[in-house]
Amino acid sequence: MYSETFIPAVASLGSLALVLGIIILFVSRKFFVAEDPTVSMINALLPGVNCGACSFPSCNQFAEELVRTRNPAMTCPVGGGELASKLGTALGITMAEPKPVTCVVLCQGHNGNARESAQYLGIQDCWAAAQTFAGTKQCRFACIGLGSCIAYCDFNAMRIENGLVVIDRELCTGCGACIPACPYGVLAMQEKKTERYFIACSSHDRGADTRKACDAGCTACQKCVKECPEQAIVIDNFLASIIQEKCTSCGKCIEVCPTKVNCILRVRDLDSVKSKKAS
Amino acid sequence: MKTFKTGGIHPPEQKLTSGKAVEVMPLPPELAVSMSQHLGKPAKPVVKVGDEVGKGQLIGTADGFISANVHAPTSGKIRAVKPHPHPGGQYSMTVFITPDGLDKWQEGLNTPEIDWKTLSKEEILRRITDAGVVGMGGAGFPSGVKLSPPKDKTIDTVILNGAECEPFLTADHRVMVEEPEAIVKGLEIITHLFQGKARAVIGIESNKPDAVAALKKHAEPKGIEIVTLETKYPQGAEKQLIDAITGRTVNEGELPFDKGCLVHNIGTAVAIFDAVCRNRPLIDRVVTVSGMEIRSARNIRVLVGTKFSEIAAFCGSMTEKTNQVITGGPMMGKAQFSLDVPVTKTTSGILFINNIGLEKSGEKTCIRCSRCISACPQNLQPWLLANTAQLRDFESIELYGMSNCTECGSCSYVCPSKRELVHWIRFAKTLAGKRKQRQSA
Amino acid sequence: MEPLKLKVSYAPFVRSKDSIESVMYNVAAALLPATLVSVYFFGWRTLLVTAVAIVSSICFEWAIDKIRKKPSEYLDGSALVTGQLLALNVPSGLPLWMIIMGAFVAIVVAKHLFGGLGFNIFNPALVARVFLLISFPAAMTEWQVPFSVDMQTAASPLGILKTDGLQALADFNMLDAFYGIRPGSLGETSILALLPGAGWLLYKKYITWHIPVTFIGATMLFTGIFHLLDPLSYASPLFHLLTGGLVLGAFFMATDMVTSPLSLRGQIIFGIGCGVLTAIIRLWGGYPEGVSFAILIMNALVPLLDRWDVSEIKAKKQQSVKAV
Repeated sequence: MYSETFIPAVASLGSLALVLGIIILFVSRKFFVAEDPTVSMINALLPGVNCGACSFPSCNQFAEELVRTRNPAMTCPVGGGELASKLGTALGITMAEPKPVTCVVLCQGHNGNARESAQYLGIQDCWAAAQTFAGTKQCRFACIGLGSCIAYCDFNAMRIENGLVVIDRELCTGCGACIPACPYGVLAMQEKKTERYFIACSSHDRGADTRKACDAGCTACQKCVKECPEQAIVIDNFLASIIQEKCTSCGKCIEVCPTKVNCILRVRDLDSVKSKKAS
Repeated sequence: MKTFKTGGIHPPEQKLTSGKAVEVMPLPPELAVSMSQHLGKPAKPVVKVGDEVGKGQLIGTADGFISANVHAPTSGKIRAVKPHPHPGGQYSMTVFITPDGLDKWQEGLNTPEIDWKTLSKEEILRRITDAGVVGMGGAGFPSGVKLSPPKDKTIDTVILNGAECEPFLTADHRVMVEEPEAIVKGLEIITHLFQGKARAVIGIESNKPDAVAALKKHAEPKGIEIVTLETKYPQGAEKQLIDAITGRTVNEGELPFDKGCLVHNIGTAVAIFDAVCRNRPLIDRVVTVSGMEIRSARNIRVLVGTKFSEIAAFCGSMTEKTNQVITGGPMMGKAQFSLDVPVTKTTSGILFINNIGLEKSGEKTCIRCSRCISACPQNLQPWLLANTAQLRDFESIELYGMSNCTECGSCSYVCPSKRELVHWIRFAKTLAGKRKQRQSA
Repeated sequence: MEPLKLKVSYAPFVRSKDSIESVMYNVAAALLPATLVSVYFFGWRTLLVTAVAIVSSICFEWAIDKIRKKPSEYLDGSALVTGQLLALNVPSGLPLWMIIMGAFVAIVVAKHLFGGLGFNIFNPALVARVFLLISFPAAMTEWQVPFSVDMQTAASPLGILKTDGLQALADFNMLDAFYGIRPGSLGETSILALLPGAGWLLYKKYITWHIPVTFIGATMLFTGIFHLLDPLSYASPLFHLLTGGLVLGAFFMATDMVTSPLSLRGQIIFGIGCGVLTAIIRLWGGYPEGVSFAILIMNALVPLLDRWDVSEIKAKKQQSVKAV
């Protein structure tokens, strides 16, 4: 007796499914897009985070372009040298090896050592604050710590600690997406070395003004310039900078620096990044 | 009574100082003269530390087409030339002058009044440009540039803006009451530049009957119209003023001269008169010092470069409850982060307030009350612009008419959810501009 | 002088005194006469019904703010208004657990599942009312007779019209209906008590005339046409105005800021749509009353009406860009 009700139901739904299946089959044949298997193979090798560091909007587009042009100069800064050699073997060419870079913060003025100028109340975004006034800290070159850059980091390598942005050097891949996100320009890319020195300050104020605003600012005191055996440190517009080509990482400058603004950046191998991603 | 067509609000007027005559503030111990007191590129300093300057001497020259000269407000010695906080919220190159107390004019300046009819048009324009006259209403557009519109545009209406629609501010009001002759002469000079054929109008809000009376007495014999405008914010915004007086709408991407109009501020007219007839550069201005937290609110004539802290001390100092110091009016002004900032040519007012709304600030969600839509004088959808800005969708926001927003603040004023509508729009304008720059680069 | 710690924010530095709270508490105050009059007509139990509706709404709001880890906004008045409106939309004899259930549907389902205040598409109180009406049709149509001591119930005038036809309403008194002496839900009966609140909201500009006028106008026009064609089987437009929840709905529920269109054009279309749908449901629908359904259906149309305005702005701009 139930058959009267369920047979038509099963039959109608079944035939509907059949018809739709045939349509899908037809469509998939008709609109089939031939995909180069090399592209998908290359794509599988790439990090797959679509960070845009290679100037392509996605990893897939990078793979397509690479397969099409076989241009050995195309590099993925995130993957680094290891990926370059893998890609080279896969395509049978010798890929250029990108210089590993990492992001550094050119400011050390956190809430504890940098003086506050005024309290900011409003849209919690660095750009919104920057168009309202010079910054929450007395130093107008400082990181204001509202963290607009964090949204641009695809690798969770940035966080705000005590009013200052901090970069996790193991997670940073050097894609550079955060650089234009900072209205104050306190982020910069620097080449990775096992041990390197750089000036973690952006203040072009005169020494006295810098010291008034922040305990960790470069006062352009010339001590490191005199100390450096390689003459690798120059002072331009009240701010020291280290010429990386000349620097031998001897560490003498940091010994004499009165505000310890010379910051050492130690970088381990890229392996730590890779192993994290694999897991 | 005339007014603009759409939108507008009625914030409490709070004109505490409208009956107070302008007082001259004594010379401060130091002047910090900013090199960017106008729209456009900052002026280039032409003095060195240690130089002696006379009152009115050129200390910064215009750098580029849209820029203006800067002059020493008093005689003295240059102490320093370095970046210093600016009332716009940023730092700008500033010349510090230690006055010698003589206040001695440089040779050839501040001469007895001459008749402008004896001067050629080129000479008049040259005097205005040399004197560093800029729009004194707030934006600071160099007047010399504004007075030389492209040849293919005909100006048939010259409007002097005496609306002063911002709450608290009374500087223009007092100038209208106290110096009507100078205003009328300044306006005559402007119309003379346009063959004297242009219709000359002074628009004044109805809450200043004494200013209307004073100007009527001097202006009407010279064929200048006085138009009384409804007291409504933003009556003094350029586009709204043109709409109220001529009925013409300045569309997106157009400038007033596209509609045959030219709008100048009351203070600018006086500055033009001073520059042309008395060879006096723009070195001082009338400022309203007001707000609930200043002990003695008043209108003062101060030298450009006087620090806010000096002004606060002159006006009986501020109370402990002060939590915001604002330049300009409360609707479109800027909050200051330091009291070291100096007065510039565009500082129309300094307000000391206790903004209690800040304490419980924090944007709530939009409850779709549509008040921002009815308040917007530019017929925009502020909620939509702000929502799009929040999503960082800078492509669509252009299509919603972002660049048509004059940032008058009416939408933020009426919003019951206390959303920062104007700030979001301003934010989007900045970032959309950056984005375009990066794309074209 | 010791520098004060200044606070920097963006202009404007003066703001109007209106806030979400002031809007909501004003609506609640505007509904107060209706609530008080209902006590006079239907006895002290209405007070209990109202109290339970309001308290449970606020409790649900508080709980869900906690669950959603949002700053507590349960006292911003929106839950209060929802509870008050819910109470005004049910019969005075409704079991209290049903009211609590209604409050749950209003606050949790209709409001917070859609994203909370400002994001809900449908009027929460109306969703709750319709939910109760569909789930408990008997309890939701046991209208108490005014001034009856023993909770005597009767059909509402619209119910009589639906089941027994126009001739059963021969002794219907228009003036009594205006005062509110008829069976019905708490708030809808007394037009007299609703009018001061409506006037207050119009005066304070919390609502504009567009939605109520077009809503009531469309209902009366539509029913009026059929009354003129056949006065014996269709009731007069005045009868439709004075019975059911038309006035309550038009002034207090269709005008809800969150669930009504932004532009004036949208509001007028919205009002007319509500009015026509109400009339259609009342004349030919399965339910005697159509105000709630009409408003909810038109609520669903609001995003579309708003989108129309936005796409028009876009198209205009694109055209002007092309012209340049």
